[in-house]
Amino acid sequence: MSSAIAFEHVTHRYPHAVAVDDVTLRVEPGETVALIGPSGCGKSTLLKLATGLVRPQQGSVFVTDRALAPDNLIEIRHRIGYVIQSGGLFPHLSAVDNVTLAARFLKRDRQWIATRVAELAELVQLPREALDRFPNNLSGGQRQRVSLMRALMLDPAVLLLDEPLGALDPMVRHGLQEDLRRLFQRLGKSVLLVTHDMAEAAFFSQNIVLMREGKIVQRGSYRDLIDAPAEQFVSDFVKAQRGLHAEAFDA
Amino acid sequence: MPESHRCLFRTLLTIAVLSFGSTAFAAKTVIGSKAFTESVILGEIATQLTEEAGYDAEHRRQLGGTRVLWSALIRGDIQCYPEYTGTLSTEIFSSQNIKSDTELRSALAKQSIWTSKSLGFNNTYVLGMTRGRAAELGITRMSQLADHPTLRFGFSNEFMERADGWPGIRAHYRLPQQDVRGLSHDLAYRGLESRSLDLTDLYSTDAEIVHYDLTTLVDDARFFPVYDAIIVCREDVPDAIRESLNRLGGRIDEMTMTKMNARAALDREPEAQIAASFLRDQLNVNAEAKVQSRSARIWQRTREHLAMVGISLGLAVLVAVPLGIIAFHRRGVGRVVFAIADILQTLPALALLVFLIPWLGIGYAPAIVALFLYSVLPILRNTHTGLADIPRDLRESAEALGLPRIARLRYVELPLAARSMLAGVRTAAVINVGTATLGALIGAGGYGQPILTGIRLDDTKLILEGAVPAAVLALLVQWVFGWVERRWVTAK
Repeated sequence: MSSAIAFEHVTHRYPHAVAVDDVTLRVEPGETVALIGPSGCGKSTLLKLATGLVRPQQGSVFVTDRALAPDNLIEIRHRIGYVIQSGGLFPHLSAVDNVTLAARFLKRDRQWIATRVAELAELVQLPREALDRFPNNLSGGQRQRVSLMRALMLDPAVLLLDEPLGALDPMVRHGLQEDLRRLFQRLGKSVLLVTHDMAEAAFFSQNIVLMREGKIVQRGSYRDLIDAPAEQFVSDFVKAQRGLHAEAFDA
Repeated sequence: MPESHRCLFRTLLTIAVLSFGSTAFAAKTVIGSKAFTESVILGEIATQLTEEAGYDAEHRRQLGGTRVLWSALIRGDIQCYPEYTGTLSTEIFSSQNIKSDTELRSALAKQSIWTSKSLGFNNTYVLGMTRGRAAELGITRMSQLADHPTLRFGFSNEFMERADGWPGIRAHYRLPQQDVRGLSHDLAYRGLESRSLDLTDLYSTDAEIVHYDLTTLVDDARFFPVYDAIIVCREDVPDAIRESLNRLGGRIDEMTMTKMNARAALDREPEAQIAASFLRDQLNVNAEAKVQSRSARIWQRTREHLAMVGISLGLAVLVAVPLGIIAFHRRGVGRVVFAIADILQTLPALALLVFLIPWLGIGYAPAIVALFLYSVLPILRNTHTGLADIPRDLRESAEALGLPRIARLRYVELPLAARSMLAGVRTAAVINVGTATLGALIGAGGYGQPILTGIRLDDTKLILEGAVPAAVLALLVQWVFGWVERRWVTAK
């Protein structure tokens, strides 16, 4: 077996609810998988399990075929890029310092760092002058671009994106969606992306994983979910998402 | 902590240590005195005589009450101080039922304490009222007080507690009064004058008795013992100093002492000058009155004050910041730490200072420890709050970047908590500047010194000489921390 990320019968309970219930899921190298489902279905917890931010009570999590354990967590995290909805940028550091924090801590060569920053800025299309600004002086879209640069800095094998576009207004969001998809194709990294928007999931991936109450309900393309729903919930979920658009058009 | 902050604290600490070191470690003969004018004058006379005998001497003036001076003497923080026989027999050796001077001297010798010859006057306690009020009620003797249960009594704080003070009088004369308050001796005169008090304790040599036109009541049931003024010294004080102090034997009579008290309390003549002129006139000693200029005085007080505030604050930062971090990461430890810090904060400053004297003596050490204890809680709490207020997604982002715990603390968590931590240090610093004025009560000097003297002498100018710099320093501290915060900490 060779997979970028693998969850093997993973269960994680919070004090009064099961967040992830016996989930088995693999993301192959270079593949983009979109996780979708209603709020509280466990999709964000799954990403946190992959970063080791939460630990499974049962089952194992593998990243690049290595099981996450307390003694290899730091090392494995250097192989993971993690982006969250709010960006998670440190407000006391400038954009460039945010991007290079881990690299500087790892004592990477200065020249290497400078080259890498320039490369990434171009890749995510961030204007040079924005790099010296502090997060509060960046627009929402720029913040997510910086956050993405930070995630990519150490050239990780795996990208975990938790609603990276969720907080952006529609215009900015649309532009970034295009950029992101191009970027995924160009980099060929394994991506696990959480979204609550079916259109966005379909836009990024043929591999949509629909979750409900901590369990995976169905995995397949958008077409599969429509044409061959595994259960009634799948149709309801798809319909509800389409309904919103349809109603908006009707109005 | 960012480099810039550490640099600031280092600077503060250096200033503090330098000013501390320059005043604290010289081997001198230290003469103490109690917190009233007569004791300060006698302490000054003893100091000048010691210097005249060829020794380096320092006068730690108005250190507090009998207990503070006595324990400082026993510990060796001071070598000598002026005392009264009646005070020693009733207050220090109360359990031994001492009847005579001989018995007292042998009790003192057992503690390795030497006493000078009697200076020549008996400064007994008396109870005093304004002449008008006493005439109104027809009171001339203490036994008559029992007929006036509604009289308002105000006694010096020490008198309230002493066996030869209010508790003894009440039992001896069977007095019924309920409205009995403790206050500073020097404020009692003003209380009588303003008619908010009817009666107070006085020393028979107080200059104010004449000045305020007070009537002293006859001790008709013979309650008060004899309070012959003496100088007590540790036996390890050189013979030459003892001989020199013995020259005072019988040279100060009641009238001489009362006049000297009047010059200090009413004419505001510096005690050092009064002492020097006494020594010149009576003993033909060419003593030198070391009267500092006002600016030299203020500068010295500033150094002492900064030393107390700086050292205690520096230590508090070194202890409270790591404690706050541990308390944040380990909840159980945190609860215990906070419980202890909360209790410390509620201790009254004066009580804490006095508790510390048996262990640490007088001077800088107990003052710094007390201020340190008061500084811990605000810094601890704000460190904890600063860390707890960091949004969870930022904490998780730092973790997900693959930074180990120490690196997260250093590069992310502490900088994000810095604003709150700095606010805690600022609070502690401002509290310290105010509280450090109490340091004067236990011989640590600082801006409290002129305030204390000013209260004793009813000298507003002198009070302001301490109060104004203290307020300015507090504002300065506020301003410096505000500047540091704007310059380095404010989130961009």
